[in-house]
Amino acid sequence: MPEQSAPKRQIIGFVCERALPLERMLDEHKALLEDPDTRIVVVPCSGFVKPTQMELALANGADATFVCGCAIGDCHYRTGNLMIRERLEGKRNPKLRKTTDRRKVGMFFVTMKDKAPFLEALAAFRAGLEPRPEPAGEE
Amino acid sequence: MYRKFLRLTKSLTVSLEKVLNLVTTSEHNPLYFHGAIPLYLFWLHIFTGILLWMYYIPTLERAWSSVNYISALPTPGLPISPEGGIPYGAVIRGIHRWGAAALMIATLLHMLRVYFTDRHRSWRWLPWVSGVALLICVLFLGLSGYLLVWDNRAYFLVVASQHFLEAVPGVGGALSAFLVGGTGITDYTLTRFLFFHIGLACFMFWLVWMHFIRLKEPVATPSRATNFLLMGFILIAAGTFPAINITRELLAKYGADPRIAAQAAYIASDAPAHIGSLVETIRYDAWYMFPFWLIQNLGVGWAWIILGGATALLCVAPFYPKDRRANIAEVVEAKCTGCTFCSLDCPFEAITMVDRAPGSKFKQIAVVQAARCSECGICVGACPFQAIELPELHSKTIEADLLALLKEKGA
Repeated sequence: MPEQSAPKRQIIGFVCERALPLERMLDEHKALLEDPDTRIVVVPCSGFVKPTQMELALANGADATFVCGCAIGDCHYRTGNLMIRERLEGKRNPKLRKTTDRRKVGMFFVTMKDKAPFLEALAAFRAGLEPRPEPAGEE
Repeated sequence: MYRKFLRLTKSLTVSLEKVLNLVTTSEHNPLYFHGAIPLYLFWLHIFTGILLWMYYIPTLERAWSSVNYISALPTPGLPISPEGGIPYGAVIRGIHRWGAAALMIATLLHMLRVYFTDRHRSWRWLPWVSGVALLICVLFLGLSGYLLVWDNRAYFLVVASQHFLEAVPGVGGALSAFLVGGTGITDYTLTRFLFFHIGLACFMFWLVWMHFIRLKEPVATPSRATNFLLMGFILIAAGTFPAINITRELLAKYGADPRIAAQAAYIASDAPAHIGSLVETIRYDAWYMFPFWLIQNLGVGWAWIILGGATALLCVAPFYPKDRRANIAEVVEAKCTGCTFCSLDCPFEAITMVDRAPGSKFKQIAVVQAARCSECGICVGACPFQAIELPELHSKTIEADLLALLKEKGA
């Protein structure tokens, strides 16, 4: 009998290249080694991410999406992490659309040395997602 | 090699900050307010300096005694009680004195942190170079403060400064005369030192403005927790070891008291200066008097070479090594509506809004000043119209990559 595993997900993460040691965390398909369901789009700064790009990911089949930037107070470009946080919280333009399911949008702000805490936070985020509906006809 | 060094220093800095984050969280980590802390201390000096200025008399006869008057009232635990004095004057002077040490330490830590995290180069040259100027100003501010007390040490420092300036070929004599306000030390000398001390503090406001001019919403205030912690440390230091003047008579009378001995060994000012009666050596304040230590131990020539060389190295640091700079943001003229979002969000004030030609569809257009652009792409994230892009990382490419990842996974 096959071992029961965590349900398959499609998670898209936008990760600042200065926030995490990505060169040691991704496989050739841009998937996280520790969580192959999570694919990463590498960006120069978390502030580079448009909320519409996260909406695009959700609209095209992603179960969830998140942005990961430098620790608050320590953005290499000073304010990128604050900008994306405020955009996703609806406090700064351009804002995340109000019809977007907030439970599917995550934010993590970490330092280069926080790989383990990031993976823990990601696992918690993933665990909080609603179960994926079973496709019709499947047991 | 140099880039590797910078990567290593950054890694070490982040490791140190991570440890502190465990205690303070990143929202209150004092190392994330490293630039705001020196500014906070600078304001502290402005306020305490104004209070001290109210009682200071800048003449050779009265300078020392006026400073002594400020701090002469008995302080709890210290057995000094000459006549006169200002209530808590010694504590206010202590805050000014201990705050000066804290200001230099905080400024150096700020500079080291910026350097170690590689946040001093290229488009950041103006904050860095103005920061070097501020560091030099802090040094002169502290030194001129020591001179105002006009004790034996101040006299020694003035004579050493004159030797230092006289070593400059051609204009040395003029520089020395400019320092003391004439050919010899007179009452005008102390008036001049007071002018240097206060004038320099005023000039520093302009330098702080230059320091901030290319930064959007600079972090100018530490977190409340950091404020209280810092003020607490300074008040404890100033209350435990307030700044006082100590004469030989005072030492003879109270020298057995361990706290008076500790005061005499470090913080207290010396006996009043007498022109013509120069002490052979002084207690050096490591944070402010290292140039004089160099002069006394290595000679004037080496002091000039070391101090001048260090300043020159600091000034050229932001220009080496040069980056490729191929990803400077570009505005798509046809799409820009003049909404100002990119200009408002640019962390380095690199985008300005200019009027379009009369009759244009939109009133304004964003213009990127290439030398200030950090290539971070925050403006790209701010633009709802895809009207500003990084040439080597177009947002359409990002979206295509994103869809490819989803397709590949779904397949």
